[in-house]
Amino acid sequence: MPRFLCLQRTLATGPGEAADEPSPARMQELYAQFGAWRDTFKAQLVDMGGKLGDGRLVTDASPADGPFVEVKELVGGYMIVEADTVEGAIEVARACPGLVSARSGCEVIEIRTP
Amino acid sequence: MPGPRQRAVGLRGDRDPHPLSAPTDDPCFFRHEHARLIAALSRRVGVQHLEAVEDAVQSALLSALERWRVAGAPEDPSAWLFRVAQNRLLGELRQRAGRRRILERASRAPTDPEPASDPPAAFADEVKDDLLRMLFVCCDEVVPEPSRLVLALRTLCGFSVREIALRLFASEANVYKRLARARTRLRETRPALLEPSPASMAPRLPSVHRVLYLLFTEGYLSSHAEQAIRRELCHEAIRLALLLAEHPVGQTPETRALVALMLLHAARISARQDGAGGLLLLEEQDRSRWDKAAIQAGLAWLARSAEGDAFTRYHAEAAIAAEHCLAPSYGATRWDRVAEGYAMLERVAPSPLVTLNRAVAVAEWRGPEAGLGLLAGLELPSWLEGSHLVVAVLADLHRRAGHAEQAARYRDRALASAPTPAVRALLHRRLDLGAAT
Repeated sequence: MPRFLCLQRTLATGPGEAADEPSPARMQELYAQFGAWRDTFKAQLVDMGGKLGDGRLVTDASPADGPFVEVKELVGGYMIVEADTVEGAIEVARACPGLVSARSGCEVIEIRTP
Repeated sequence: MPGPRQRAVGLRGDRDPHPLSAPTDDPCFFRHEHARLIAALSRRVGVQHLEAVEDAVQSALLSALERWRVAGAPEDPSAWLFRVAQNRLLGELRQRAGRRRILERASRAPTDPEPASDPPAAFADEVKDDLLRMLFVCCDEVVPEPSRLVLALRTLCGFSVREIALRLFASEANVYKRLARARTRLRETRPALLEPSPASMAPRLPSVHRVLYLLFTEGYLSSHAEQAIRRELCHEAIRLALLLAEHPVGQTPETRALVALMLLHAARISARQDGAGGLLLLEEQDRSRWDKAAIQAGLAWLARSAEGDAFTRYHAEAAIAAEHCLAPSYGATRWDRVAEGYAMLERVAPSPLVTLNRAVAVAEWRGPEAGLGLLAGLELPSWLEGSHLVVAVLADLHRRAGHAEQAARYRDRALASAPTPAVRALLHRRLDLGAAT
């Protein structure tokens, strides 16, 4: 079955206030929602992934002291999902609590294996 | 299913994550862990660092959410949270102390001692002590009176500023200001003065009772549309009151009466609403929906509150609630005892609202004219003048006494001042009764 790399993208926030940190009661909700989501899509979640930290670009040129790109500024986290079609993978990503919102989107990329 | 090759990349595959036990079993896990961590850490580093403590706790809870939802909760989630929050807090405080030392070296000022760096682990009893200690800090006289409840809601119940504002019908700015004042006062107060000892706790007990009572009534009497929110506040108040009642310093008749009154009211909270969320009059309530276990517990606390000579408003209010709980039906209520309970309450805590309730009980006992007689000379403070409560009672009593004209006048005023649609519906049901007959 095809696999898809899901990258969480931080979207530029509008001129309004920054996102509020969730309150403990909200965390409780998110935790429960995430558990339910995970149960629903258990069979398709190949790798639950995680947050990404600093990165380095390794090139042919001199050993750089990158990172050239602040990876974490662009990408919040990743996971790998199994689905028949890209639409199926999008469905999993869209249902993931907190992944797709006004401030965060998700890039769904097919992993082509030879 | 993923094959062996994929297992190498994924977390899932050869083993499922730990079952998400504790945080999913307890619907208040995050809020109560928040409270426990704030109490434990501010005891260790001093409550003057409350803000840093709150930041460290929030950050630890966020890390837990991030990590546990993928990898599952660890075996002892509380211990994990404590370790993470404590490390972050001590790291932050060391950094601050370092910055301060640099500044002080420059100005040749003496240095402050560093925060304790190796605090002991928490045991079950210690957790209770920590929470209780925090409760006394919230109710200390250095904290301005209007800030005490919000500080308790923040630190002991784990509510955010927005959630507190929603619950108290206040603006977020107002709640924020009240919290900021409390934190400032705590920061400026010598820590030793806040350190609760048996001797210093006893004089603060009345303030603790007041805050717990306020917390409970905010839930019980609130006109909040969402019953879940009201019930939650009642449960928080009961949780903290029981904590107090189980601790040597709190084992007084007042505390027991307070616990009794909370349980005897909370036992009936579900029956106050119909299926559609409308409010029900006491006489309309299905008494089989009252929580009998809570009533039994409340009565037991009430019996224990009678030791000693103390008689407080909590005793009177618990006694009145007990009469209602013990009555098999509205008609069979011992209104003489309810009226007597309000008369005693009037003596220890006089208020026009108490007189109003006493008049209602007297009207049930001796007829509407007797009730109206009590209200004849009642002077209303300004905060009560615009309230629907007084005019609604007057409308009802005049209706039952057959004074059609006064009844109609008060009825219109009561309907016009009803704070919520649910209250207005209830008033219609009760007061139109007279118009129809």
